[in-house]
Parts: sequence; structure tokens; C-alpha cells
Amino acid sequence: MKNFASAWGRGIFRTLLMGTAVALCASAASAQDVYPAQPGKDWPIYGGSYNNQRYSSLKEITPANAGNLQGKWTYHVEGLQGLESVPVVVNGVMYVSGYNRIDALDARTGNVVWRFRRQPATPAYQRGAAVAHNRVYITTNDGHVLALDARTGAQIWESKGGPKVSFSGMPPMVANGKILVAGNRFGTVGDGGGFIQAYDEQTGEYRWTWRAVPENGDPALDSWGGHVPGGGPIWIGGAYDPELKLVYYGTGQPNPQWSGKGRPGDNLYSDCIVALDIDTGKLKWYFQNTPHDTHDYDSTEIIVLADMTFKGKPRKLALQANRNGYYYILDRTNGEFLQATPFVSRVDWGTVDPKTGKGQPDPAHEPTVKGTITCPSTAGATNWPSPAYNPVTGLFYVTTTEGCGVNTLASSAPDSETSYLESPRDKEAWQLYTRAIDARTGTIKWDYKQVRSNHYGPGLLTSEGGIVFSPEQFGQVSVLDAKTGRSLWHYNTGDLITASPLTYSVDGHQYLAIASGTNIFTFGLPDRSTAVEKKP
Amino acid sequence: MKLTKALAIGFVISTTVLSAHAQRRAEPSGPPNPFAGNSQAIAQGEQAYNQSCTSCHGPNGGAGEIGPEIIHNLSVPLRGELNDDQILDVIRNGAPGTAMPAWKGKLADDDILKIGAFLHALRGTAIDNPLPGNVAHGEEIFWGKGQCGSCHMLSGKGALKGPDLSNVAAEYKSNLIVDALTKPNHRVYGDGGVHLRSLPPMDTYDAVHITLSGGGTLDGVLLNQDSYSLQLLGDDNQLHLLQRAQVRALTVKPALMPTDYDKRLTKDEFDDLMAFLTRQGRKAPAASASRNAEQE
Repeated sequence: MKNFASAWGRGIFRTLLMGTAVALCASAASAQDVYPAQPGKDWPIYGGSYNNQRYSSLKEITPANAGNLQGKWTYHVEGLQGLESVPVVVNGVMYVSGYNRIDALDARTGNVVWRFRRQPATPAYQRGAAVAHNRVYITTNDGHVLALDARTGAQIWESKGGPKVSFSGMPPMVANGKILVAGNRFGTVGDGGGFIQAYDEQTGEYRWTWRAVPENGDPALDSWGGHVPGGGPIWIGGAYDPELKLVYYGTGQPNPQWSGKGRPGDNLYSDCIVALDIDTGKLKWYFQNTPHDTHDYDSTEIIVLADMTFKGKPRKLALQANRNGYYYILDRTNGEFLQATPFVSRVDWGTVDPKTGKGQPDPAHEPTVKGTITCPSTAGATNWPSPAYNPVTGLFYVTTTEGCGVNTLASSAPDSETSYLESPRDKEAWQLYTRAIDARTGTIKWDYKQVRSNHYGPGLLTSEGGIVFSPEQFGQVSVLDAKTGRSLWHYNTGDLITASPLTYSVDGHQYLAIASGTNIFTFGLPDRSTAVEKKP
Repeated sequence: MKLTKALAIGFVISTTVLSAHAQRRAEPSGPPNPFAGNSQAIAQGEQAYNQSCTSCHGPNGGAGEIGPEIIHNLSVPLRGELNDDQILDVIRNGAPGTAMPAWKGKLADDDILKIGAFLHALRGTAIDNPLPGNVAHGEEIFWGKGQCGSCHMLSGKGALKGPDLSNVAAEYKSNLIVDALTKPNHRVYGDGGVHLRSLPPMDTYDAVHITLSGGGTLDGVLLNQDSYSLQLLGDDNQLHLLQRAQVRALTVKPALMPTDYDKRLTKDEFDDLMAFLTRQGRKAPAASASRNAEQE
């Protein structure tokens, strides 16, 4: 107590020093090279790094010591109906986002550093923020991007110009001097289709838009049989290759979702993996996973970029475990199809040509008024939970749903649809697994069954320490051995989990973190750094 | 409001379309249906329904080749599901772009309202429209020939193995209660696109035989489980809380619940048992419309 004034003074001095240090580090980074190739101390964007491998360089937590993990702190996020976001961490500060809001926390203790709130307040689900150059970027639910000062939450700019849009709440990407965002509705009413947009990182000025539905003059318009194209929503973050200067995104289903009668053709660019030039937003190539989709098999699953020798040749690859049940390997320089293998036991919506990768839907599985059973279900063989890739084990880890579903139409009208259900057949009920796939061959190497979890579920991460951090829909979080899938440690958060996890370090100590319900949970190994020193 | 919220959420793509589909029709909010809950009018409504609607929508609104199901077997309403007023509006004015004609002028408005009362009864839980029969005799069957009380409890009387049935009629529709007693595969599935708001209970009442790692066995009904633990009601009527490490082997036994009650009992006995069961519960305050808005 007697030292309060000087302690306060020291605190201010230290804060100023740290602030300066942060600012110096930030200005040293070039616009082209915002993030390291692999997440380590920081987890600055949704996928940890541009390649979305979610492969951390941190090694403190290993299979040998994971059994000693313990809860470090919990933070309740007020005013939201649930969290699906991945918090981001830079320089020991964790940023937890919602639409129009950020909570900045001390990542060691969970204590609030600052809060930012902008009207209108909304409890809606949102997926995350991005941090770069001492700024935090988030989207609003009224079509704006915001840049905040990472130290205080002060608003630096609100995006300017560009067409009216609705953002989907997916995390922004900071790359090559731009902020990339996306959404489901170009325009503010009706079905304008999915889109990707770029704004200037410094000023927030609008730069470009790419639309997932073809515009007049685009030959892809012929793939709609005269129907006005719609759909192609984009609601999850992309990947970026700084050398190729290409961004990669997945697009969603064509509209109407379950009725294809009124839109004969492949319906481009729905259910595609697309590569865009980051400077211009022009389409470099596309690959359509599910042509003429009538099962809502969005291709919005996270795209993972990896460089490896594939069939004897060094390749720059794009990997995706798709909602339609196939694990795809593409050459990301040009979109060349290399391989597709089913990663669930039952796939009957159609076939995939092993040479071209072209999907051929089976008409017997078209949704009907009576209901048609199809595998996988509309919920997908996987969905938005992030997969992870570990170059050391060579395994691609993905939250997988085994099971089938029923698709029904409300009537025989061309645009009629209702919803989807779980298959009533016993062996087609939904069951979640944490599944390890050989990244080159697509062979399933091990499964961890998430008991009782059956729908969507959370994402994964892996590390140089040799672990997979594997949360479950029904609230358990586990650390698995990355090689074998053996469970090493677990903790029950007591609420649903539909977010993907992150790992970071502060003061040399590694933390694992995950959003569950409306709380952030963090875990780490025992240490004495937080112990209260006994007075003599 | 629902549409705005759904669009703001954004990533549940199906939601936007379904909600938009439902929102195309302005939501009429007329006076309450004067025939709702009137058993005589409901019976007349059923007759009128069978004359005009069954050929497209199937018997009891369970879907036909042309028209969609109006009554489903789900435990929760589907997203975009029409409320009572919206259904009356569709019957009166038709559904543009589909084969559904406008019945205004073809049917007397009282008949349309009675059809509405019939559909409301089908869509509500059993307590809204209990099945006919001799209730007192049904209670005798419950505790006697039916042996229901050897597994189930009613207001503190009976046994623990099966679900407590004290409020069954307020929780389930009559057809689901009938299915549970007559169909081996009667599991109820919800709308696939709905996000859960909280961890749901495990309600499968699996009968299991467990071999313990330390020797010995346990039999009972699984109340819950996760990847690391099991919660069992033993045949000894005690709770057994087990870590998976304590379990060497677990086998699921055939279901305890007989599903041939329509054969074990005479038709009258079965009907009377249903009349009794569909009256077990507290009538909930009407809130079905707002329930729908809570989903995505």
C-alpha cells in the first residue's frame, strides 16, 4: 500500500515502453508479409496463419506432459447468444469479437484491457477478428469494416465506398495492404449472391468486389439454364499465398437450395473453390466440387494450403475436406485437380470422376416432397469447423460427421423447399469423430469418437509439440496424441462448442484456448508465475 | 424480426432461404379460432379435411405425393413452419406458384375454421386433444395388464427404469405416444439445421450390461455418457457414476420398452390406455408461435 504511487508510476512507464515496442515491431513488418508462415507466440488471424494449417510452432505442451494441463482462466462474454469465433492473440492480448464489438483481454489472466461497443448491439453469432500492424479489424452487421487501435480500442476508420452489402460475420483477412471480407448477400435486399470484397488497410477505402454469381458477359452465366443465378454465399474465411498473390475462398450452394428443377446446369460459381488475384479481385481459376447441387453442400469448408511432394513431384497444394464427403487435393497455382477420396463411409449423392474431379449428381437422390435419404446429410461430412494439417505426422485432422439425412420439398413447385432432417434409419444417425487422414493418400489413419456429439462440432489445431487439441460439440475438450489419436487429457466445459481452438504463448508459457457457450476457456501447464508470493 | 436476425447470423445459409420463404406471406393475426379445442368441431374438421385435403396432403396431414406434410413427427417445429393463422390464410387464399388452390368460396368459412381446429389439435401436444376412451380403465391397464408401472413412474408411484410419464401428454403429441408403444423404430429427430442452445439430455434409455475393469458386472439403464464417463441407473435402483477407465466392456441390450402394445392388448384396452396417457400432464400456456422464433 505504501508503494502504491511508485508502483503506479512504474506501471505507466512499463506500459509506455511496451507500447513503443509494439509499435516498433508493427512498423517493421512489410505490407506483403503481415504474418509468419506458422503461428507461434501469436495467433493473429482465424486460421493462425495464411495457410490455415493451424500447425503451431509451440512445443511446451507435448504428449508426455499434456496429462498435467489445468484450467488457467475463464472469461464470460456478456450479451451474445453464443460464441463461434476464434479469439486472436497478439503480444499477450486476446481479442474476442462479436458483430460491432471487441473485448481485449490480458491473455495470461483473462482480465479486461479494453472493450469496444458500437451500435446496434446484436447477440448474433460471428466468427472473428484479425489483428495486424497494431490494429484490430472487425465487421459490423450493417455492412462496414472497422479498424481499431489494438492498444486502446479507439476507432481509426470505418470503411468507405463500395456497393451496399451484408457481411456474414466471417473473420476479415489482412493481406497485401488490404482487408478482405465476404458475405452472403450482395446488395441489401433479395438474393444478390455471395461476394468477396477488399478495402485498403490504411484508409478503409473500397477497392474491389468479386461476386460468386456470374454477371452479364461471363460465359459461366450459361450454366444456369436461363435462370437468374443466386446463392454462392461466402461465410467463412479464406487462405492466402503471399508468393502467388492469390487468395482462396470456398463458395456456398446455388439457390434455391434443395430444388434444382428451375436451374438446369452446373450453376457456377456455386460450391466452388476459387482463386482470386489479391490486387484486382479477378478470378484466376475455379474448381467446382458439387455441380448442380441440390443438397446444400457448400464448399465453404476451410481451405488448407500445403507444399509437399505429391506423386513424386513437389507441389503447391490446396487441401479441402468437403461437405459432400470427398477430400480434395488441388494444385493451387492453377486449380488442377489431383485427387478426391471419400473420407466418410457412405457417400451416395453422386460420383466424382477420378481423372477430372468433376462431380456427377445421382438423380435418384434429388430431394422430393416425400423426402429422399442421401449421404452425407445436408449438415455435411464436415462443415465450418477448421481442420488442421501437421507436416510432421503427414496427417490432415478433420471433425467428421458420419451419417445421412432426409431432404424434403414443400411442393412440386420449382423453387419449393423446406428443410433437412437426420436419417431415421438406425445406422445412418449422425456421429462426430475427430478423424486423421493421410494428407497425401486420403486414407483414414485414426478416429477419436466424440461420444454423444452429432452435429457440426468444433475445429481442431495441432502443434510441433505433437498434440491435437480436440474440442467436442458436447463440451469436452481433449488433447490427443497427434500420431495415434490417443487421448492424453480432457476437461468438461459444460456447454456446447461450435468454435475452433487456438494456441499462443505469453512469457514463454503455452496456452490452449477455446470458446464454449458464451465463455472463453484457457488451459496450460502448472507453473508458479501466477502464485501470490507469501509475505515474509 | 426473424428474417433480420437470421440474415445477421448469416452463416446458416439454409435459414435465410427458409425464413424468406415463410416471410413471403404476410403474417395475418386474426381473432383466435372459435373452434380450437372443441372436440365436436375438431371431429367435423377431420371429416372436412378428409373430403378436401387428404388426396394431396395424405391422411392426418402426414404428406402425400403432391402436397407437403402439415403435421410432422418432430419434437420441435420446423424452421419457417406456418402458425395456425398462416395455415388458415393458405387454406382460404391458396399458395401461389403451387398446386394449392384457394378454398374461400368453395368451403364454408366455418368448415375452414374447423379444419384449422383439427390441424391445431394434430399439431399440439396430446394434452391439447387427448384421445378418446375410458380413462379409468386405461389407468387400470397402466398398472395392471400393461405393466407400464414396472418401469415408469407417475407422480411418484411406479418404477425408475423408464422415463417419468407424469407430464408425458404435455411434452409429446398423441401420435408420438402411440408410436412409442407400437413401433420399434420411433426415434424422434429434429430439424437438421437447428443449432442447439444447450446440452440436451440423453433420452434413449439404453439398457446396458457393463463388465467392470476391477471385476464384476453391472446392468442398468444409461442416463448419460460422454467420452470419459458414464452415468448409470443400475437394476439395483442406485446411481452408478463411472469413469470409462472403470469399464472393461459395455454392451447395449435389446430395448426394454415393448413396442407391440397394439397386439398385447385388445383394441379397447389399447385405446383406453392411450386415453389415460394422453391426459397425463399440465397444460402449458400457449406459446407455440414464439418457440419457433427461437430457432435458426
